[in-house]
Amino acid sequence: MQPILDVENLVKEFPFKGDKKNGVPRAIDDISFQVFEGEALGLVGESGSGKSTTARCILHLLKPTSGKVSFQGSNVLEMNKNELKSFRKDAQIVFQDPYSSLDPRMKVGDIIGEGIEIHNPKISKQELRNEVIEMMELVGLRPDHFNRYPRAFSGGERQRIGIARALAVKPKLLICDEPVASLDVSIQAQILNLLQKMKEELGLTILFIAHDLATVRHLCTRIAVMESGKIREIGDRSQIYENPQHPYTQSLIAIVPEPDPISERARLVERKLSKLKEQP
Amino acid sequence: MIGNKIESKVAPTHAGGPLLEVKNLKVSFETVNGRVLAVNDLNFSVQTGQRIGIVGESGSGKSVAAQALMGILRGADISGEIIFRGTNLLELEEDHYRKLRGWDISYVFQDPLSALDPIRTIGDQVSQVLRLRNVKAAEAKNKTLEILDRVGIKDPQRRYNDYPHQFSGGMRQRAMIAMALIGEPSLVIADEPTTSLDVRVQAQVIDLFNKLTEEQGTAVIFITHDLSIMAGFAEDVYVMYAGNIVESAKTDEIYYRSIHPYTLGLLGSIPRIRGPVLKSLTAIKGKPPAPTDIPPGCPFHPRCTYASSECAELKPTLQIPKSGNHLSACHHSELLSQKNGSR
Repeated sequence: MQPILDVENLVKEFPFKGDKKNGVPRAIDDISFQVFEGEALGLVGESGSGKSTTARCILHLLKPTSGKVSFQGSNVLEMNKNELKSFRKDAQIVFQDPYSSLDPRMKVGDIIGEGIEIHNPKISKQELRNEVIEMMELVGLRPDHFNRYPRAFSGGERQRIGIARALAVKPKLLICDEPVASLDVSIQAQILNLLQKMKEELGLTILFIAHDLATVRHLCTRIAVMESGKIREIGDRSQIYENPQHPYTQSLIAIVPEPDPISERARLVERKLSKLKEQP
Repeated sequence: MIGNKIESKVAPTHAGGPLLEVKNLKVSFETVNGRVLAVNDLNFSVQTGQRIGIVGESGSGKSVAAQALMGILRGADISGEIIFRGTNLLELEEDHYRKLRGWDISYVFQDPLSALDPIRTIGDQVSQVLRLRNVKAAEAKNKTLEILDRVGIKDPQRRYNDYPHQFSGGMRQRAMIAMALIGEPSLVIADEPTTSLDVRVQAQVIDLFNKLTEEQGTAVIFITHDLSIMAGFAEDVYVMYAGNIVESAKTDEIYYRSIHPYTLGLLGSIPRIRGPVLKSLTAIKGKPPAPTDIPPGCPFHPRCTYASSECAELKPTLQIPKSGNHLSACHHSELLSQKNGSR
């Protein structure tokens, strides 16, 4: 099967002035992975692991230091202006923070419609409006929200606006960078269910970035685990959760809390005992 | 014991009775859209060394309630009683209240980056609690180094003179916790102390709070929206929705035998790392109401799968249903307790 996205030996360094005796720090340190059409791949790691930098390099929002990113066979990093424009239509992103990622001075309808108009400048006003309203209904917003500003919406609704904006240009690949991390628990479930529905109904390919292994398990059938800029383990959901191979994956799974007091108390005691053992 | 600790305790110790008793606490604000009731009739008590969990989403009133306990809410109307060691804090003069803060009751804020002063060193900020109470500088510094070490900050001698920006998120939260503990308070209120942290650091913070309650008998009120993180920690849980406590019980009762549709909905919303992968999560529809716009009747009824006509008209009282054994504010609690909280 041909991958829709192919990342090969990607490296991103953030050079700085001053003492480089320990080398230039690498936010992404030679990673390779593929995303196949129609699948949801989870990219999991703690803060600083390089997962968001990876997303930005894939979309060419950041320029990688070296490596190759291929989208449907063509190298994103060597695209000319027109090719890049059409790539940006095919690959969209939903950001983590729904407060800073929506322009506060634009109406919701304009936020969602902006991309459609850029990629299809000849569209009539009525057609544009219809498409936007269709998108709004798809993600669970009401058509009468069209003329409101982002400030009138809660975090969950803003994230729906962000998803509608991304889906409006009919992308093939959707990158979600921690889309539920800043939302209330009951709203997180709504957004996860919405993404699941979009994946099934639109045949969307999703690269889902999260720090939380439980969230990823729900949506993604394949998982990559990142630490210190490297992919430590990549595999099917059942393998990662039931039979993790890398010690880092194992420790990450062991630490995820569950709403189950009896097992959580047992783990608390376990952690306490292992700490006592460490001390001389 | 630090310096003249006993003399400077404002409230007298009293034998028996709870450490803190909150009675009919109501907090409201005057806004351009009229009066807003952020906390509506809160009742609970905390024993010495007890670990209390308060669960709620945004707008549930959990942080407002906590800040009311701490006496740091500005421009609010507060009624009811907050009895700490036998003294009603709401009748306390500001001077006295100030002596209590950080000393008898302390507060851990959610966002350590905005709660810490960026232009003062960590050591300066943590030791301030002691210096304000006339502990000698050298002794205050020693105590600070000791507490930084206890909360897990490595090489405290060196870190003492660091500024907040030189600390990672987890380390800043540890510094906040150190600041809250240095006065050896009998009660710590922790408002979402783990929310901005990685899972690994979250577990470390929970372990730290656990150690404190066990070693020095500090009572902790742990406020969060995350039912998973406090499952192993809290002994008693209060669930808040739209300014009200809607269910309260021993932790295991809440997690395994809840009789309130909101709590059941929250539990169903959480993606699990073990067990079968569900096709979809049982999300609660809609969103939590803004405090300016609380629905009549049961505030949860527009989102509730059990709602009947009664729910839209009559607000349920917090009571133990006939077949149940803990408090729940729902017209259908009796039905749910007969089903034994089955989800």
